[in-house]
Amino acid sequence: MPPPEPGLPLDWPESLRAADNGAAIVVLRTHLAVRLRVALSDRTDVSEAQIEDFVQESILRVLSQLDRYAGRSRFLTWATSVAINVAFTELRKKRWQDVSLDALVEAGRHLTEEPLAEEAPSGGDEERTRLLESLREAIALHLTERQRAAIAGELQGLPFDQVVSLLGTNRNAAYKLLHDARLALRRHLIAGGTSAETIRTVFAP
Amino acid sequence: MNPLSPQQVRDLARFVALTRDRELNCSECRDAAGELAERRLAGLPLDTTLERVEHHLQLCPECTEEFRALERVLREST
Repeated sequence: MPPPEPGLPLDWPESLRAADNGAAIVVLRTHLAVRLRVALSDRTDVSEAQIEDFVQESILRVLSQLDRYAGRSRFLTWATSVAINVAFTELRKKRWQDVSLDALVEAGRHLTEEPLAEEAPSGGDEERTRLLESLREAIALHLTERQRAAIAGELQGLPFDQVVSLLGTNRNAAYKLLHDARLALRRHLIAGGTSAETIRTVFAP
Repeated sequence: MNPLSPQQVRDLARFVALTRDRELNCSECRDAAGELAERRLAGLPLDTTLERVEHHLQLCPECTEEFRALERVLREST
């Protein structure tokens, strides 16, 4: 159990669940506003009005998710992680709002119809080239169109929530879709005699 | 959307190499991210759950971005 935060409610969840939670919400709002400004301090595309909106939305999210706080960190740390998720999710959504499901499926198709884009092989890169071809083959053989689309979106930085929305599913199902896809690719490579350690070594940054 | 860049291909290979049969999802990672950030900041050891959070962070750019922001907040709050 982490130490209490000086000057703050000893039991945040209880204070926020109480019928007279107004004072606790005011304190929480003040702290989240300060902390979100720090979290977003290197972003030049965020206005003060947006931060206020993020704080408001974060308060609602914290109140609705109080049962998820397990007490293993300070409450404000947990609430800050919720607020950061609210803000970053919204900012990502704006950047990618014009991507369509067709574009996502098309990007997934690229993964199988041509060699995976890589630097031109030079001396000693034969193993890398072989692994890439094996990976492309595994994507074509073992993944569904939805899995290819989800992987393409993830690799290109499409927000996970948007992948979920474009595929018309929910977060858990989409996460399982991606996880199953990665497992299938891994099993294919291992069945071909390539260990996970070899993959890591060959593609180390 | 464009074909994958060389970096994105490396990311794909890395994700495949790091894949485990059982992993945390983003919500589970976020639930424990605060504890991981606090313990890292204090230089305290990590238990199995927090190691699984670190593993998820290696696989998830969005959670990593948010975790770095959380770490920055905690550093500046101490």
